[in-house]
Amino acid sequence: MTATVDAVAPVGPVPPAPSAVRRRPFGERALPYLLLAPAVLALLVMLGWPALQVVLISFRKLDLGELVRGEVVWTGFDNYAEVLADPEFWSITLRTVLFTAGCVAGTVLAGLGIAVLMRHIGPKVRIVLQIALVLAWAVPILAATTVFQWIFDQQYGILNKTLVLLGFESFAGHSWFSTGASTLVVIGLLIVWQAVPFIAFTLYAGLLAVPRDLYEAAGMDGASGTQTFRAVTWPSIAPLVTMSTFLSVLWDFKVFAQVWAIREGGPDGGSTTLPVLQYLKGIASSHFGVAAAVAVVMTLVLVVFTAQYLRMLLRSGREEL
Amino acid sequence: MKRFSLSALALLIAAVFAFPTYWMLSTAFKPSGQVLSTRYDLVPFEFTFDNFVTAVTKPGFSAFLTNSLVVTIGAVLLALVAGLLAAIPLSRLKFRGRKGFLLLVLIAQMAPLEALLIPMYLMMRDLDLLNTLPSLLLVYFATTLPFTIWTLRGFVNGIPAELEEAAMVDGCSRWQAFRRVTLPLLGPALVSTSVFSFVTAWNEFLYALVFMRDKTNQTLPVWLSSFKTAFGTDWGGAMAASVVFAIPVLTFFLIVQRNLVAGTTAGAVKG
Amino acid sequence: MALLATGCGGGTAAGSGELTVWLMNGSAPTSLTDELHKEFEDKHPGVKVKYEIQQWTGIQDKLTTALAGNQPPDVVELGNTQNPKFAKERVLTDLTADASELAGSQWLEGLKQSGAWQGKQYGVPFYAANRSVIYRKDLFDKAGIKEPTSRAEWLEAIRKLKAANASDPEFQPLYLAGQNWYSLLSFIWDEGGDIAKQEGEKFTATLETAQVKSALEFYKQLVEVSGTKAPKDADEQKPEQAGVYGQGKVGMIIGLPWEVDTAAKTDPSIKAKSAAFPIPSKNAGTNAPVFQGGSNLAIPAGSKNAALAKDYLKLMTSAKYQSQLAKSGMVPGTSKDTGELEASPFGAAMAKGSRNGRAVPASPKWGTVEEGQNPLKDMLTAYLTGAKDATKATADAAAKLNGLLG
Repeated sequence: MTATVDAVAPVGPVPPAPSAVRRRPFGERALPYLLLAPAVLALLVMLGWPALQVVLISFRKLDLGELVRGEVVWTGFDNYAEVLADPEFWSITLRTVLFTAGCVAGTVLAGLGIAVLMRHIGPKVRIVLQIALVLAWAVPILAATTVFQWIFDQQYGILNKTLVLLGFESFAGHSWFSTGASTLVVIGLLIVWQAVPFIAFTLYAGLLAVPRDLYEAAGMDGASGTQTFRAVTWPSIAPLVTMSTFLSVLWDFKVFAQVWAIREGGPDGGSTTLPVLQYLKGIASSHFGVAAAVAVVMTLVLVVFTAQYLRMLLRSGREEL
Repeated sequence: MKRFSLSALALLIAAVFAFPTYWMLSTAFKPSGQVLSTRYDLVPFEFTFDNFVTAVTKPGFSAFLTNSLVVTIGAVLLALVAGLLAAIPLSRLKFRGRKGFLLLVLIAQMAPLEALLIPMYLMMRDLDLLNTLPSLLLVYFATTLPFTIWTLRGFVNGIPAELEEAAMVDGCSRWQAFRRVTLPLLGPALVSTSVFSFVTAWNEFLYALVFMRDKTNQTLPVWLSSFKTAFGTDWGGAMAASVVFAIPVLTFFLIVQRNLVAGTTAGAVKG
Repeated sequence: MALLATGCGGGTAAGSGELTVWLMNGSAPTSLTDELHKEFEDKHPGVKVKYEIQQWTGIQDKLTTALAGNQPPDVVELGNTQNPKFAKERVLTDLTADASELAGSQWLEGLKQSGAWQGKQYGVPFYAANRSVIYRKDLFDKAGIKEPTSRAEWLEAIRKLKAANASDPEFQPLYLAGQNWYSLLSFIWDEGGDIAKQEGEKFTATLETAQVKSALEFYKQLVEVSGTKAPKDADEQKPEQAGVYGQGKVGMIIGLPWEVDTAAKTDPSIKAKSAAFPIPSKNAGTNAPVFQGGSNLAIPAGSKNAALAKDYLKLMTSAKYQSQLAKSGMVPGTSKDTGELEASPFGAAMAKGSRNGRAVPASPKWGTVEEGQNPLKDMLTAYLTGAKDATKATADAAAKLNGLLG
């Protein structure tokens, strides 16, 4: 996926000019750190510190009372034991991973397709498509989850009504939420619908940065559409596709509000994912220590599943992302 | 002909994506209580503006709107500046600690936000920042920053450094080369990331609810939730409010989307 | 004057000059709070009531963090499912000794239980509501049906109503969602059963009893006899049953009095055509017990104005303001006088039912049952769809409930 990058467009960080490396006056050496300082400071104080607290809290008993009175009660690995002892924990983890994979695949494929499409259509149609995408993005979660429930409603939903009108009589009164799998598909559609706009815009922006003469050159060589895509388009946006995939994994894995709003993780726990488990076990019952433990476990699962990407990032001298 | 069929496909996709939004809009224009209907109501039978009037005249609307705008725009600007500053060295320079920082940025995006609520709240309490807009602005800044750094860095990576080097051969300083060559090409990237940050901060509910003790400091998502009461939900009102809620996002996009065009032009000229 | 002495005599109590009160969206009408706050401020010169209406969404997080903040509110409204947890965690002020001054003898039993923990009282009843059967009086009259007073009559009324409207295939004599577990609670209690029993601090599920199975059986009978088209895998909110009732194709729903107002948004004429009767019992002439949901008032332990806050509660629990609550359509929490409530047919049915009001187990963990994944809902769906028989459905639900409460 990344091996082809160098072939066409020299993408990726380029070492500074050789002369600069040899001399390295103080100003030059300090420059990166100065530029990074605001971000580092913000990340360490605003995310690093609370994240460290979460790890510490996961080893404490922190219920409502302890929180309000400011008591610190250490309990070792009790919270983790409680989480991992749940017989359903591993099936929920598996479900979450599969659900994430489905959402990410759907989002990235649709996003890529739309981005390429945007590159090839006229400006008027493009702005219509872009506004439709932004609208999907702008709809608040409360409205989005509600509207999806209405659309998929058994009796009154426009979807069933339309299907019946088109001759699919068996959809009259069909319940889209009767099994966990079917419920997750509806939730997945909702999430993909909300996530595609960002991916499409990002990849489209990446496509815009591809110098036009590369396309012209390909056009002169008589390359077909697919060949142009493979030779010019794909290499230049492959790093962005990888990045979008990675970001989507992080986001879709953590989705809570949409999953909860549709059926509270039901029916019969069939659409319960790890974030829902965190809510049920920890937050709803004010066991913040348990909630923190689930959060830590979730993060570890994420690290395991993105390990390949992280390793690639750390190992390669000049990583392509 | 090929162009025509592509346009048709694009319009079809636009329709599919706009449909839930359309449904929200049509509910907002339906008289309250027409949410459920056994009729085939793809096009509403009756129109009313009542729901919008109810929504916008709810007490405190303008204060909520102002708060939301301040917090969101502030956070987006801060994140863009800090993110761009960080993205350049991460992509263009070699220095010790670079990979460590990248890892930090990656891990920062993995933490579930709901879990950070309690520690963040306690931190803001101890800093005496609760119930102030800066506390929320800082949270949104920090939570959108890793993403901003990551995306911008990806975009800078995608711009051939040769372009800058060529400019430097022509006598530009490194800074000038960056500003004249790379920055214009980053236009679309800035649009895409800033719209994302804007939407994220604009929609955030939990932190806004918990940090802002007093009603006067609350933001629009909290206002949006007020259509739900123990007596049921005013769906017409809630949908009208959602439409009103979405307008600034659309406006923000329309303002920044010129950059998408500007970016193309710059790419065509300089590239 | 006694109130004045308590309030200001406390010395530090009047110090801050501000009493922060958090009530929920839609609980006390503005006319009531305006009058009460004026009276309170007149009695406590220099003190201002800072009244903030809270939203239901996210209230748990908001309360939790606010109590841990530097300036917790002085008076809060807690839902009866939240109250036991807050009481158990000792984050509220003990009001046991103040009960008599807060109209303690008149308290609604169900709410009182939810505010108590280990013999101490941490929450004061505020208001409650319970379900009754809302029905289309015009359709009943046309079919010559009288308000049923027993389960048998109720089923008979459903049959007659169905027959009288047989020409309309969309008509449902009763709309009953498969997961309307509050109604199931009524039927279980009516059979003499319960969902859990308490021994000391331990709650054990009692779902595997003959009573619960009979209640399920009756629920199924209602669904089958009425032929309701309501989803079996959702509760009465998905979709909102009041909206369905408002379409005019439904004869009855089991709901709260204000649902008829929601229905009236769809069809303004429907309220005049509707009336209500208490949920009938299997024993003719009596009503089935009903679940009484509602709110309590409490003073956070960290309040710096506890004495003032108690004065505030005294006003709110007084007959004057309780009757205003009743007038707004609630069962008052600290007054047995429901006269104002009975002015409307819906209020009257609720008041009648409320005399047989019951509460869910006062377990600090009950909130996780009701706000999380309620095993009773899954039990109903499994039983009604035939996925499980009564024995299996109740056994599975009991195991889950024990897991949640244990």
